[in-house]
Amino acid sequence: MSAGVQRRWQGLLFVAPFLLLYCTILIYPLLKGAWLSLYRVDLFGGGTFVGLGNYGRLFADPVFWQSMANTLLLALMIVPLLTAIALALALALNRATRGAAILRGVFFSSAVLSVTIVTLIWRFVLAPDAGLLGELWTAAGWAPLPFLSDQSLVLPALAVTTIWWSVGFPMLLFLAGLQQIPHDMYEAAALDGAGRWTTFTKVTLPALKRTTILVFMLQTAAQLQLFGQSQLLTAGGPSGASRTAVLFLFESAFGRWELGYASAAAEVLFVLIVAVTLTQYALTGRPGADNAR
Amino acid sequence: MLLFAVLALSSCTRADDKTHVYLQRFFGECGAEYGGKTDVAKAEGECGIITTVTNAFNATDGKAVVDTNVIAWPGYPQLTAQMAARDPPDVVSMHENVISDYASKELLEPVEPYLKAAGLDAASFTKASQEGVTIGGRMYGLPWDTHGGLWHINTKLFAQAGLMRGGKPVLPSSPQELLTQARQFRKRTGKPYLIQSLVGDPAGAARNLYTYVMAQGQPVFPDARHLKVNTPEGRRVAEFFRQLTAEGLGTSNMDTPAAIAAFMSGEGGIYPTGTWMIGQFQQESATPGRPLYGSYAVMNYPRLWGQHVIYVGGHAWVVPKRERTPAQKAAIARLFRFMAQHNYDWARTGHLPAVTAVLDSPQFRALPHRADIAPLADIGRPLPGYVRRQSAVEGIVGEEMAGAITGQKSVPDALATAERRVNEFLAELD
Repeated sequence: MSAGVQRRWQGLLFVAPFLLLYCTILIYPLLKGAWLSLYRVDLFGGGTFVGLGNYGRLFADPVFWQSMANTLLLALMIVPLLTAIALALALALNRATRGAAILRGVFFSSAVLSVTIVTLIWRFVLAPDAGLLGELWTAAGWAPLPFLSDQSLVLPALAVTTIWWSVGFPMLLFLAGLQQIPHDMYEAAALDGAGRWTTFTKVTLPALKRTTILVFMLQTAAQLQLFGQSQLLTAGGPSGASRTAVLFLFESAFGRWELGYASAAAEVLFVLIVAVTLTQYALTGRPGADNAR
Repeated sequence: MLLFAVLALSSCTRADDKTHVYLQRFFGECGAEYGGKTDVAKAEGECGIITTVTNAFNATDGKAVVDTNVIAWPGYPQLTAQMAARDPPDVVSMHENVISDYASKELLEPVEPYLKAAGLDAASFTKASQEGVTIGGRMYGLPWDTHGGLWHINTKLFAQAGLMRGGKPVLPSSPQELLTQARQFRKRTGKPYLIQSLVGDPAGAARNLYTYVMAQGQPVFPDARHLKVNTPEGRRVAEFFRQLTAEGLGTSNMDTPAAIAAFMSGEGGIYPTGTWMIGQFQQESATPGRPLYGSYAVMNYPRLWGQHVIYVGGHAWVVPKRERTPAQKAAIARLFRFMAQHNYDWARTGHLPAVTAVLDSPQFRALPHRADIAPLADIGRPLPGYVRRQSAVEGIVGEEMAGAITGQKSVPDALATAERRVNEFLAELD
C-alpha cells in the first residue's frame, strides 16, 4: 500500500465516527422521509405505495398552499428586519463600556427563553381585551386592535414576536464580525476625511459582508421552519391565516396520523429551503471570494 | 468501569417486590401540594383529586404500586410515539373521542375482562359514558366522566337585564327568543350576552355546531367517512351565531384565557364552555369581593331547535396492548375498582360522574349546581364511535366554524371547506 493511499485511509478513519453519526441522524432520515412520502402510511408502519399520489394531493390542497404562502411572507417580514435590527444593535453596543455589556446581555436574554415563554409574554402584549397594547389603545380612546384574530394583522404580530425572540444571536454574530475589523482601516478612513456614514458604508458594511450573508441565510432557513409561535399563539388561525408549513405537516403527521402526506409536505419544504438558500448564496456571491474579511 | 456500570444499573432496579403499574395521564402536575397526600375527600381540582386517588391506592393496595407519568395535555403525540416504539404505559387517561383511533389499530385492549375481575358491571355506567368507550360492541376503557358544553351564567347581569325568574336564569327556547333576550341584555347592561372563545380554540365552535345540528335530527356523520354539515340545518346554526356576533351580542376576539378572565370579571352574560370550569367559577362566586361573588349559575345548553341533545365527550382510562403478567392484570383490575369507587370524588371537579349510582346519589346532587346539569348524562350525545380522528376533525370543523361566526368566511364556504377537508383525509384512512 502506497503512503498516499494509507494517508487517505487514515484520514477516513479519523472522520468515520462523524460520518457514521451524520449518516445515521441526518442522511438516513432524509432518505427515509423521501421514501415515506411515496406511501399512504400512518405512524404504525405498513402502508400502501401510492407513488406521487401524496404530492398530487398536496399540490391540490389549498390549505397547504396557504401555509406555504404564510411561511414565505413571514420569512420576508422577519429576515430583512431582523438582520437590520441585529446589525444596528451590534453597532450601538460595540464598545467596551459597562453599560454596553449590560445592554448586550439584555438584548440577548430573549434568545434563551423557550418558545412557550415567548408566546406567553407576547400573548399578554397582543391580546386585545386585557393585553398591554389593548390597554394602551383603550387608554387612548381607540378600539384595541385584534392582532391575533384579524387575518391581516396576525402575520405581522407573529413576525414581531419572532424578531424580539431571535435578535440576540445575530447581534452576537455581528458583534463578533465588528471586532474582527482592523482598527487601522477606521484610522485610514479618518485620515481620508471620511464621515461616519461613509465609514459605515465603505468600511464597516463591506467588512461585514460574510457575516451578513451568514445571518441572512441562517435566518431564512430558520424562519422557513417557523412553528412554535404559530402553534401556541394562534393555532394557525384565524381561518388558517397564520398556519405555517411546519405547523401544517405537524397537524398532518401527529393530528391526523398521515405520515406519508406529511413527509411529502416536508420534502417540498426541504426543496424550498435548499432552493432559497442556494439562490441567496448565488446572488450574494461566494463568501470569501472577494476582499471582504 | 464494569463495576461502575453494574452499580449504576443496579441502582435503577426497584427496591420493592410489588407489582408496578405504569399510569400515564394529563390533568396536570401538583406533586408539590399533593405528592404525599392520601385523603381524597380533602383534595381539590382535577390534579389534586387524581393525585390523591393514586396515592391512596398505593397506600392501601398492599400488592401493587402505581407509577405515574404526568404528560402535558392531551399527550397523544407522546402516547402514539410510545405505542409506535412498542413501549406503551399500562393505563392511560384518554378522551373518549380518540379511543376509536387507537382501538381501530388494535392498540388497546378491550377492558371487559378487567371490569369483570374488578366486579364492575358495564350497566352501572351512564348511557353517555358507556357509548363513549364502546367501539364495535366492545368497551375499550373504564368510563371516568362525561363532560360537555354548559352555559356558565352571570346572574347579577342577568338580573340587571331582567332575565331572572324565581332565582333562576331565563334561558331561550328558540333562536328568535335568544336574539330577543340577547338584544335586551346588551341594551340594559351594555355588555355582550355571549362570551365566545374563538381564537386558537376550535373546540367551542365545533361543539356549538355539533350540538345544534344533532338537535335538528341530522347526523353530523351519516357514515364513517363523511362529515355532513353544509346542509340547511348546519347553515342555520352557523348563520345564527354569525348574526349574534355581527350584532355585537357575542365577542369575537378572545382566546380561552381572555374569555375566562372576561367572565370572571363580569364582562358578559354567558360563557359557553365545559363542565371543567364549574369548580373555578364556583370558587369565584363564593369569594367576597370578587366580581362574580354570589352571581353564578350554570345550566345545560338550551334547546333552540328540535330535540334537547348536547354534544358531549368524556374521559376514560384505557389499557394499551402489551405483554403483562397475571399480577399486573390483576393490579389493573384492582386499580379500576378503586377508581370507580372514587368516581364521586372526581365528580367534585365539575365533570359528571360516569357511574349512574353516583350521578343519582343525594351526595352528588347536593354539590353546587349539579342538580341543574345532571340531565347532561342523559341528553349528552358523543359522535358515533365509528368516526375516527375525532380530535383532528374537531380542529378542522372548529376552525372553519369560527371563520363563519366571525365573518371571515361566508357560511356556505366555511361549511363546504370543513366538509372537503375532513372528508378528504377520512377517505385516506385504511
